[in-house]
Amino acid sequence: MAVETPAKPSLADKIYDKMFHNYVWKSIFRTGYPNTPRNQMLVVATNVFLHLHPTRIHRTHVKITHTYCLGGLSFFMFLGLTVTGILLMFYYVPSVERAYLDMQNITTTVQFGQLMRNMHRWMAHAMVILVFLHMMRVFYTGAYKAPREFNWVVGVILLVLTFLLSFTGYLLPWDQLAFWAITVGTNIAGSAPVLGPKTRFWLLGGFEVGPDSLIRFYTLHVIGLPLLAAIFMAVHFWRIRRDGGLARPL
Amino acid sequence: MATAVVARPVARPQARARDEEVLVWPDLVFVEFISALLFTVTLFFLSAVMNAPLLDQANADVTPNPSKAPWYLLNLQELLLHMNAAMAGIIIPTVWLIILGAFPYFDRDNDGQGVWFGTEGAVKLTIVSAIIGFVGTWLLIFWDSGKIAAWLNDYFAVSGGDTFRFLENVRALQQQLPWPDWSREITYLPFNLRILDGTGTSGPTAFQNLDFPGWLVEQAIPIAVIVGLPCLMIYAMWRLGWIVTRRDALLALFSGFVASYGVLTLVGTAFRGQGQDLVFPWDLKVSEGIPGQE
Ligand code: HEM
Repeated sequence: MAVETPAKPSLADKIYDKMFHNYVWKSIFRTGYPNTPRNQMLVVATNVFLHLHPTRIHRTHVKITHTYCLGGLSFFMFLGLTVTGILLMFYYVPSVERAYLDMQNITTTVQFGQLMRNMHRWMAHAMVILVFLHMMRVFYTGAYKAPREFNWVVGVILLVLTFLLSFTGYLLPWDQLAFWAITVGTNIAGSAPVLGPKTRFWLLGGFEVGPDSLIRFYTLHVIGLPLLAAIFMAVHFWRIRRDGGLARPL
Repeated sequence: MATAVVARPVARPQARARDEEVLVWPDLVFVEFISALLFTVTLFFLSAVMNAPLLDQANADVTPNPSKAPWYLLNLQELLLHMNAAMAGIIIPTVWLIILGAFPYFDRDNDGQGVWFGTEGAVKLTIVSAIIGFVGTWLLIFWDSGKIAAWLNDYFAVSGGDTFRFLENVRALQQQLPWPDWSREITYLPFNLRILDGTGTSGPTAFQNLDFPGWLVEQAIPIAVIVGLPCLMIYAMWRLGWIVTRRDALLALFSGFVASYGVLTLVGTAFRGQGQDLVFPWDLKVSEGIPGQE
């Protein structure tokens, strides 16, 4: 009787085995490499980050042309802005004496400072655009309809928060562009009937843009609004799962 | 006797169709990964070739002309040129956001869910109302800048002379018509509502006296235009039989909004020069603070 002897493992197989089937690796990633359906589902279900997703999804929803990844990319921008924002915080002090000098420092002397600042700026613009486009995609695919009504409302709140995040960041460089844009912007807020002047005073910490405005905008920009946005995003993502994944025709 | 209890249909997640499903790993995760990678590379590239602007240090004594808000607020700043500040800056955007949030509560049937332009005629409605929003907004801006009267005069030698000067733009209605003095100060409250009068008495409705021409031009006409024209469009489309369901009405409203919002943002960003005059983008000086340029 002919017995089939297994081929001797090649060197590559051995290295692969050493890398992925050792004690330490397995303590981090409990499932094997996701090359079988079982492992592929487990890897999504057991990884905290991937667990935002379901393990399976309707085939129309992985088509790029259904979502254009716009929601996901909005979130990705948010993450990228957090990373570059933290790096910028190392060098930036929100005081009228230092803010502008710090900006100059970041762009001239700090290693990769200019790059970080540019990334932060362009990502912020990109996020505003992406969130708006995402809203359009949701609207034109009729995905706000039942049972996703409330998630649409959460989305509208996220849209406002995105604008506010970007707006509060705009003052921080403390240059002419920043100063006057915020002057114009808060004047708009101040024109509101009844509550306008109070709101403006509260935002600026005074009657015009000054040191108190800078610290308020900074605090809102780096902690207040991101925290709120993160909370609403958590609700947004949770609701997508609870509402049965993305919308599809009945 | 049997009592039939008719349950109100409750929206619930759809049943799953397992055989129509694919695995998130790899199908979705890889798509996400690649789009994230693409964006990272693009943004790195953009950041390498284009620097974020940093002008001179802030100086409260030097007002740039024009001073502009960040670009995504320039739509509101553009509105501000044409009407009362509180209306343009606060009331209209707030009301619109509430309307936007209320969309799903207004349009409750499930037609056209989960596919692009899933209802009959959706593409047509979208395109036509976007064109109307686009052209209409441009026309209104041109009219209110006085350009239309100027062009009619320059290129076609058509001029209403002094008689029709009041039609040049919306302000002219206030300034060129012989309003009697009493109409500029109509007492409508026997007492002064000081608490409501936060910003002083500069607006057309200082809360005791009504400046009627001012009120007409800064509030009544703009609101009539902003509410009236979309309603008119939707009504006309309904009479034409294009709009049948609530979804259709929202399609027209939303598409018109997107187009007009886009025009307002664009004009505010790239077509407003010194003194907020309407100019061509190439006539804008860089020092005029176009966001994103040094
Ligand atoms: C910071 C802003 C936002 C983030 C990070 C975000 C993220 C996401 C993600 C990742 C999805 C999954 C599908 C997709 O990518 O399209 C999604 C779906 C959805 N989003 Fe957003 N979103 C944001 C803002 C908005 C806005 C402004 C709206 C609407 C006004 C909105 C309404 C919805 C709805 C209704 C769904 C479900 C879509 C469906 O079932 O097909 N979101 N969002």
